[in-house]
Amino acid sequence: MSITRTALEEVEKRFNRLIGTSATNLCTHCGWCVESCHVYLSTLNPELSPVAKTERVRRVLKRSHDWLSKLVPFWTGAADLTESELDKWVELAYKYCTLCERCVINCPMAVETPQIMGAIRGTLTSIKKSPEILDQLTGAEIAREDGLDMMREIFREHIVDLEKEVQEKLNNPSAKIPIEEEAEILYVPLSGVHTIIPPAVIFNYVGASWTLSMFESSNYAMFLGDIPRAKQIVNRILKEAERLNVKEIVLSECGHAYAAFRWEAPKWFGEPLKFKVSSILEVMDDYLETGVLTFDSSQNGEAITYHDPCNIGRKGGIFEEPRRIINVISSNYREMYPSREQNFCCGGGGGLVANTDWQDYRIETGKVKADQIRETRAKKVLTSCDNCLHQIQEISEYYDLNVEVSNVSQWAISALTIT
Amino acid sequence: MTNEYILHFIEYELQAIALMWMAVLYTIKIVQLSRLPISWERGEKKGNPTRGVLRSYGTIFMPWSMESSKTHLWRWAEFGLYHIGALVAIFNTFTFPFAPAMMTPFVRVLFAVLIAPAFVVGILKLIRRIGKQELRIISTPDDYFSLVSLQFFFFFGIMALLVGTPSWRMAYFLITAGFLFYVPFSKISHYIYFFFSRYLTGKRYGWRGVIPRLESKS
Repeated sequence: MSITRTALEEVEKRFNRLIGTSATNLCTHCGWCVESCHVYLSTLNPELSPVAKTERVRRVLKRSHDWLSKLVPFWTGAADLTESELDKWVELAYKYCTLCERCVINCPMAVETPQIMGAIRGTLTSIKKSPEILDQLTGAEIAREDGLDMMREIFREHIVDLEKEVQEKLNNPSAKIPIEEEAEILYVPLSGVHTIIPPAVIFNYVGASWTLSMFESSNYAMFLGDIPRAKQIVNRILKEAERLNVKEIVLSECGHAYAAFRWEAPKWFGEPLKFKVSSILEVMDDYLETGVLTFDSSQNGEAITYHDPCNIGRKGGIFEEPRRIINVISSNYREMYPSREQNFCCGGGGGLVANTDWQDYRIETGKVKADQIRETRAKKVLTSCDNCLHQIQEISEYYDLNVEVSNVSQWAISALTIT
Repeated sequence: MTNEYILHFIEYELQAIALMWMAVLYTIKIVQLSRLPISWERGEKKGNPTRGVLRSYGTIFMPWSMESSKTHLWRWAEFGLYHIGALVAIFNTFTFPFAPAMMTPFVRVLFAVLIAPAFVVGILKLIRRIGKQELRIISTPDDYFSLVSLQFFFFFGIMALLVGTPSWRMAYFLITAGFLFYVPFSKISHYIYFFFSRYLTGKRYGWRGVIPRLESKS
């Protein structure tokens, strides 16, 4: 069977009601979405507007799903899928669209461009045309399970060192970083210590019953639209949560991990998860509200701003939690414009940060974010996603923004009131 | 065959056939769409999906809610004028044959005044589609044909209202019938998909607490 035919069959498997609605005659080609896209605004390339990008895919979908396009394809711009077009799709779905959903928010018809691009990512993965690095990272995440016994000892040794740092920060020699212990909270970090120490400090500060497991929260399979592997990655953490008898899974400041666990996984499994799933931001906000977490705001007059990660904000519904935390600590918070559901993607979303082949392009499309940051005149940028963090650090350097970039929890622990 | 008979046929029988044609095709489309699989949100609800859906449908009436309309208020106004004109022109195809008593000179002028801006906006849309590269590269023959056909629809509608001779009415109802036959195949049928799309998107964003945004904890 030809690769195009296989690809079309894979597209059909993903052709659901959301995509079906957006795939034929919903889009009126009005062009309202054009200026909503950071890729278009940074490059001013009309072929990279949301509608132009989607149209390249839509014309193929129309060919098999739209009556008129079946009969007279030239009339609607419909076209058959070719091998060269498949190669173009790789760039469209993985490079030129970060699945940020800003175009959906600004489309009068609510055309679901990212849903279409997500389906195309899955299709390309199934025919082995997706970016190799994402596939390798997914493979590495899954392989982690095989070498678990060997890793366990190394991880425990590493955690002992981190525990000392936590004890020093809290001035509390009994502060702990529990691993694989029965607890109320299973905290799932990323691989960096900056996603382990701050939450460890906070959990110890409030006296929470918590534990780490051997797994990380990142889920590169989600970027690939590879649902079976994405489920596998989520499932092992769910199994750990069950084994450790926890009530809640708390995720590190990671955009796609939050989206995967909180919103997508229940859809993948076809049922709600047995555990409450929260971001560390929500948990910190709860601790603040109940008064168990207190901060000293006297030293924080530095101009500060917050970047809403797409997966946490526009796709996740977390807007006010980080702002409540920041505003308790900072007396000089400056809102980015636009922000919240209208915030611009940093340019590194959708797994783009992991792909070094497209680094120059990624920095180029970070221009919109760089301009937004510059306008705030902030000296520090906070965010809640490691991909955003990495991208903003790079664009800060490239565009001479001269800002420090940090996760919210990492920054917040420096202001804890410690007696 | 008299002109009066032909006009009667075009205004009644032909319209009825065309409307039935459109209804059948739309029914097929809606059934096809409804039979596609869908994964509903299953994560613990954070916001209010009903409010999300209502807000989603209301978005187009709230230019401040989308950057694309907030920063281009004139474009949003054009959008409104165009759709008001289209609605009046469609409504008019029913009032002419079925409520002739309602079509007083004042109402005729009023309807024409409401359709006329849509005609002007249509010209602007056409100019933009041809003139702006970002629109030109995504435009298909269907886009141009739909736009131009609507211009004729508006024009004949205005003339039928203001002049009102049988020939103008015939032209108006002939293009209406042609429209009804063509619309289910074209991008003009976006208004059917709109209800699906806005519902699905609104429900998701409402469920997740994205839109309407949760200002405080519930």
